[in-house]
Amino acid sequence: MGSTVFKGGIHPDYHKELTATMAVTEMKTPGKVVIPLQQHIGAPCEPLEAIEVGTEVKIGQKIAQSSGFVSAPIHASVSGKITAIGPYNHPLGRPVEAITIESDGEEKWDESIKPPGDPGNLTPEQIREIVREAGIVGLGGATFPAHVKLSPPPEKKIDIVVINGAECEPYLTADHRVMLEKPEEIVFGLKMMIKALGAEKGVIGVEDNKTDALKVLEQQVAEEGNITVASLHTKYPQGAEKMLIQVTTGRIVPAGGLPLDVGVVNHNVGTAVAITNAVREGKPLVDRVVTVTGAGINRPQNLLVRIGTLVSDVLEQCGGLKEDTVKLVIGGPMMGLAQPSPDIPVIKGTSGILALTGDDVYLAEISPCIRCAKCVDHCPVQLMPTSIAQAAEHEMFKKAEKLHAMDCFECGCCAYVCPSKIPLVQWIRIAKAEIAKANKK
Amino acid sequence: MNKVQSLITSSSPHIKSDETISNAMRDVFIALLPVTLVSIYFFQAYAVLTIAVCLVTACLTEVLFRKLMNKKPTLYDWSALVTGLFVALLFQATTPWYKAALATFIAVGIAKELAGGLGWNRFNPALFGRVALVVLAPAYAYVNQWFQPLHINLGMLDTITQATPLAMMRAGMVMPSVGELFTGFPAGALSEVSPLALLIGAAYLFYKKHISWHIPVSIIGTVVVLTLIAGQNPIYHIVTGGIMIGAFFMATDWVSSPFTTKGKIIFGICIGILIVVFRVGLLITEGVAFSILIMNAFVPMIERMTSRSQFGKIKAVAVPMADNKS
Repeated sequence: MGSTVFKGGIHPDYHKELTATMAVTEMKTPGKVVIPLQQHIGAPCEPLEAIEVGTEVKIGQKIAQSSGFVSAPIHASVSGKITAIGPYNHPLGRPVEAITIESDGEEKWDESIKPPGDPGNLTPEQIREIVREAGIVGLGGATFPAHVKLSPPPEKKIDIVVINGAECEPYLTADHRVMLEKPEEIVFGLKMMIKALGAEKGVIGVEDNKTDALKVLEQQVAEEGNITVASLHTKYPQGAEKMLIQVTTGRIVPAGGLPLDVGVVNHNVGTAVAITNAVREGKPLVDRVVTVTGAGINRPQNLLVRIGTLVSDVLEQCGGLKEDTVKLVIGGPMMGLAQPSPDIPVIKGTSGILALTGDDVYLAEISPCIRCAKCVDHCPVQLMPTSIAQAAEHEMFKKAEKLHAMDCFECGCCAYVCPSKIPLVQWIRIAKAEIAKANKK
Repeated sequence: MNKVQSLITSSSPHIKSDETISNAMRDVFIALLPVTLVSIYFFQAYAVLTIAVCLVTACLTEVLFRKLMNKKPTLYDWSALVTGLFVALLFQATTPWYKAALATFIAVGIAKELAGGLGWNRFNPALFGRVALVVLAPAYAYVNQWFQPLHINLGMLDTITQATPLAMMRAGMVMPSVGELFTGFPAGALSEVSPLALLIGAAYLFYKKHISWHIPVSIIGTVVVLTLIAGQNPIYHIVTGGIMIGAFFMATDWVSSPFTTKGKIIFGICIGILIVVFRVGLLITEGVAFSILIMNAFVPMIERMTSRSQFGKIKAVAVPMADNKS
């Protein structure tokens, strides 16, 4: 099954050696955490009634939720006292309402955290409820609420659950370490998803540059009749859901559609572990593995970080930023977001903190398009990026829409290969925003 | 952590390939060196003079036009040098230097800079410059009179009076062997002396992934098939005249060829058909140059026709959720 390869894509320098062999270590509990009320795609949360400045909270205590279905509740990640509720810097750019908790250092877990019962006896409905209450979202970075993907509309029959262990973004090794260190939890989480969805089988897709992870997972699933591990060609963006589903199941997700349209649901390996923790121990999502890496980091490592920990505190734990750091990115180098300051919290979707130095960041002058077609050849969803960018530049957004701009998921292959260094993704993003605006009217 | 840092916050992706326009153009220049060296070996001072004149004219023309249009000079991107070398290779060694210079001036100044600069020219600049002199031959004959005193006589070379193989073929003369034609035969334009040297350069461009097989293979394939149908020896057609440089270097010019894969194949086949029509049907010289330029004009149309189909294209199906992220 691993023989099929998707069209397009690139082979960037991966730089994973910086952290690939480093076991995940738990970061020391920060003095304070700032927990944004929006860390997922969907409706933002509201603080619970009892939550106000001065309230004492414990780890795992639910502090905010939303009545909307596409949303995920938020839990305290340290024990201590709430010192502020108000807008705070957010990795997505705009300040977002956040709850600041000053840690009391006692690390007390909330009394409500207990195993919900024998996992074997849980009904699909109960699994979904546990996942929802645990505030689990897609940990690969997209942060879509996990319980929503486990609740497909009844007319959509799901038969395959695909677990994403591709980790195709350069530099990042968080998923790699999770696969090496928590294979049992990944497979258990997958089995819970299969049960919740009434699916038939599961596939764990891993890029073939992580042979050790492939081996560990293959051993883990050896006894499982309906779960396989697929070795995937190492090529970016192998972990993009459409590409991953194509190579692991042979199915093509329709344009503008969702994996469930072809009977597939996919989740990240980290999400699978979070689901296991919730189902077995009742533990909500209060921490996650973050790869702190790049030439600008003094001591690159994989850290288990509490949600809400300030990036500046994480950097301090890693020996701080080097003087020649020019870019601080949350996420990977291909799709991550550059930050103006490290004064932002780690959120549920933060898979990496990347510090790039002058050598890594290409700041060449932009040249005109020479129509070399490299962007066309490397686009994994068969777009003509330079044509869309040109349409956007001339504010011809109808034309951009006809060129399927909305199918772009901003993987960045086009801008990576462009010899003219045209910011193609940026132009396409402008086109997408304008098209969305026009279509809303 | 109180260090004051000024962090850059530009859009993703945050890493980019090392490939630049200058590198790519320099690679094209490098790929032309083998044939350039072979032509110098055969034509010596004549070839050196023609090439030097074209390179210098190309650079001067670019600087002049960009200055007139208040644009920054871009000599560092190698594109003027590449165009200059291309023009030189399209002429015979004995061409008066001012004729080659005039063609270069038209190529860089009119076909490229006046069209908007690199990336905006619809026609291959070098071919445009070369063909302009063919089309404007009567006018040039007049202009030629002024330049006559500037002619430089470099003495005679045996080889340069030779008829081109295509002319020999038409005249029914005894042809040199295919092997000789392929490795090196001193007749015709500088670029026509050695298909082997061109192929070595083309191999370099393939290796560097600057060109794909689609255009050259569809041009040459079409010529082979059609000349066979016409009852001629296709090998002679391929190794003589401008087909080699046309198929591998001119038609594959990024700016003036389609960027869709299907479009490249259609473009190549049409060029192949035109070449055979010009060569076998109309007995016109410069058939390759005309064929490529004609098809250059159709590139936007070909691209519209072969616009890529959507990934996962389906017939109208209701999509349950508006949000397609996961």
